[in-house]
Amino acid sequence: MVARPVNRQECPPALPGFEHVSRSFNPVFEQWTARVLPGQFYVTRDDEIVTTVLGSCVAACIRDTELGVGGMNHFMLPTDDGLRNNDPDGGAALLTRFGVAAMESLVNEIMKLGGSRARLEMKLFGGGNVLGMPGQHVGMRNIRFVREFARVERIPVAAEDLGGDAPRKLNYFPRTGKVMLKRLRSAQSDGVVMRERQYQSSICGNDKTGAVYLFD
Amino acid sequence: MKILVVDDSSAMRMMVVRTLRQAGFGGNDVEQAEDGAVALDKIRASCPDLVLADWNMPNMTGIELLDALRAENNEVDFGFITTESTQEMRRKATDAGAKFLISKPFTVESFEKVLSLVMN
Repeated sequence: MVARPVNRQECPPALPGFEHVSRSFNPVFEQWTARVLPGQFYVTRDDEIVTTVLGSCVAACIRDTELGVGGMNHFMLPTDDGLRNNDPDGGAALLTRFGVAAMESLVNEIMKLGGSRARLEMKLFGGGNVLGMPGQHVGMRNIRFVREFARVERIPVAAEDLGGDAPRKLNYFPRTGKVMLKRLRSAQSDGVVMRERQYQSSICGNDKTGAVYLFD
Repeated sequence: MKILVVDDSSAMRMMVVRTLRQAGFGGNDVEQAEDGAVALDKIRASCPDLVLADWNMPNMTGIELLDALRAENNEVDFGFITTESTQEMRRKATDAGAKFLISKPFTVESFEKVLSLVMN
């Protein structure tokens, strides 16, 4: 793919559906950077950086290794007590359906840009023990899910940095697959915890799942 | 009753089959296909009663599969289970002859609601 010169005055247009993702010019890397918040995902075919800060959430960085198109999601599974369904397995199935949908959204957008499942590469990050809810290791459950997803979908995991107690800042370069990761000190984690708690509340009370449209 | 589940994600196919079981439709004969082209061959060969298809798939998308079936005068009951569900997609689905669209992440209740209507 031919590299385009970077224009620091003008942000390259986002792909349709990603206009809401905040982007700014990173003077250190001299590249445009898309900032993915909890619950968002972002895909690009341009040579730009995708960045996020993770606590207990996980981020999957997925790219087509031949085309150099890819992106990142940032999500967590809903907590058990936020579920109001009658699943016989106590809601685990709904958790998984939520996670699979989050992963599929990212993979679908890469496929729309010409990506092939056979050439996908995945890198996994996050799942720290940061939210600290009694009796629940939110991060560990997210880790188990993303690893299982990669196994079932047979997408090779080229790198991972999961678990632990520290939040992480992530810079992902979908064009090359490079990742730059920094572990944050606890003093820097207050904002991360606040954003993730807000996100957690929003998905636990989400009644939009499983919308049905009957056409007859 | 035969149901064909069409999705390029094997994780999603597993979830659809599992949700069918949880919604009380586990006693049916459920087959799977990984894209629209494979599904078209399976539908021609085994004549399912219901097709549950994703929209975005390689080789042949869900809407292309439905168009191909209707072009062959195959009137099998057809519903979409898809991550995106824009107004434009719903219009295309209706025009092509789909019976319903369920958006992901779906629930057991959404399957119960739709399938009890369609399968009766």
